[in-house]
Amino acid sequence: MRTARAGLLLLALAAWQIASLHGLPSYILGPAEILRDFATALGSSELYRHIGASLARSLPGFALGTAAGAALGVAAGVARWFDRMVSPAVFLSYPVPKIVMLPIFMLWFGIGDLSKILIIALACFYPVFINAYTGARQTRTILVWSALSMGAGRARIFRSVVLPSAAPLIFAGMRVSLALSFVVMFAAEMINARSGLGYLIRVSENSLRFDLMWVSLLSIAILGYAGDRLVRAARARMLGWQGETP
Amino acid sequence: MRFALVAAALIAWEAAARSGMWSPLLFPSLASIASELGRLLASGDFLLEAWVTLERALGGFALAAACGVLLGMLMGRSAFVAGMLDPLLSGTYAVPKLALFPIFVFVFGIGSLSKIALVFLECLYPVAIMTYHGARDVNRALLWAAQSMGASHAAVLRRVVVPATAPFIFAGFRVAVPVAMIVVVITEMVSSADGLGYRVVYSLSSLKTDQMLAVVVVIAALGWALDRAVVLLRDRLIYWEKLDTYYV
Repeated sequence: MRTARAGLLLLALAAWQIASLHGLPSYILGPAEILRDFATALGSSELYRHIGASLARSLPGFALGTAAGAALGVAAGVARWFDRMVSPAVFLSYPVPKIVMLPIFMLWFGIGDLSKILIIALACFYPVFINAYTGARQTRTILVWSALSMGAGRARIFRSVVLPSAAPLIFAGMRVSLALSFVVMFAAEMINARSGLGYLIRVSENSLRFDLMWVSLLSIAILGYAGDRLVRAARARMLGWQGETP
Repeated sequence: MRFALVAAALIAWEAAARSGMWSPLLFPSLASIASELGRLLASGDFLLEAWVTLERALGGFALAAACGVLLGMLMGRSAFVAGMLDPLLSGTYAVPKLALFPIFVFVFGIGSLSKIALVFLECLYPVAIMTYHGARDVNRALLWAAQSMGASHAAVLRRVVVPATAPFIFAGFRVAVPVAMIVVVITEMVSSADGLGYRVVYSLSSLKTDQMLAVVVVIAALGWALDRAVVLLRDRLIYWEKLDTYYV
């Protein structure tokens, strides 16, 4: 199976390479050229500057959004009055594409990084909130009862029963949020920025620098993949006792 | 009581707008947003614009739904297909497909086609992955029972696998529909001359904040209505299993 997969991948790359030698349109480069351009770009400081600018927006936004989502979501799943107050507003605004708030955020918080960080945080908030909420509500009553009968206090039950049972879903939400944070970061940078990978891809598109376009595409792909691996590794480390969930 | 927080936020907004501390450019009052909304909804041009956006979102989503269900079913019922495609899907899952948009613009042109293609690509993942998990974990006892009663391959697929997978398929749809709206609006904001996303950017650059927020309200309402439509359809088709979350 592994060899079949590797063979298929190699075959696809070879077909792509051969096609690019035989008259694909100029904006589609072959894999060999992309790799060569990527290596060249790695040798200069330009690419690192844009990657740094992108990460300086997406990571704080991700951290802020997921932290708020996890805290408020668990709180709403545990406390009935808080649930009644917060959840209707969250579920009502959930299907709304958050990126449309970017222009108004730019008016309120300026066109700098703050408005972008806040819009990323807003987008990351929802998946984590909903998962934390569902996870905390799904805590099995029998576990709470056994903890109670063994004399655990409310704080102890929260820490040792509710949080562990909500954690797997919180991680699943974080995985969705991470992917979302890169999408929103990229969109915000394409719409309005002076640095970052989204800006780089837009500039190279306009100036027909197809090599740079593919380099920024490859960079964002690697970042997204690496981030996803990190979240999964963190989950495996902290929740090793849990089986894999989709 | 249920929407107390929403009401409080609206009241706070109106108070901030009327206090005169901020320019109406930053904080247009709810009344002016509402009047802009009424004006927009009465104009045929704007409704056409909304239709363009909806068409792109639904077109891409429908393609992704058809291909995603097919792909997920194949992966769920065949270990070989799953072994081939699962690493590809989960490896590229977290990669923002939006980065492909400039290339799509070159390939498919700047019109609707490049946007529909991107919506298709982004929506394909949730639908295919959820369908795959559903189809893979169909209760074995049900399959055996059907087979021992002499059901053909096609009958097992139609009477057992599809109904057992349907709740998962709809869970995937529910993730994919907001994604479709997000992608359409983003692509229209980035490069377009029509659609609601374009109108947001256009109203902002002509400094009509109240009009921009009115368009945002329309986009929000569309996203919400599409989600309700999916839930309604789900509850009608999958009558034997209610959605078990609390608020939705």
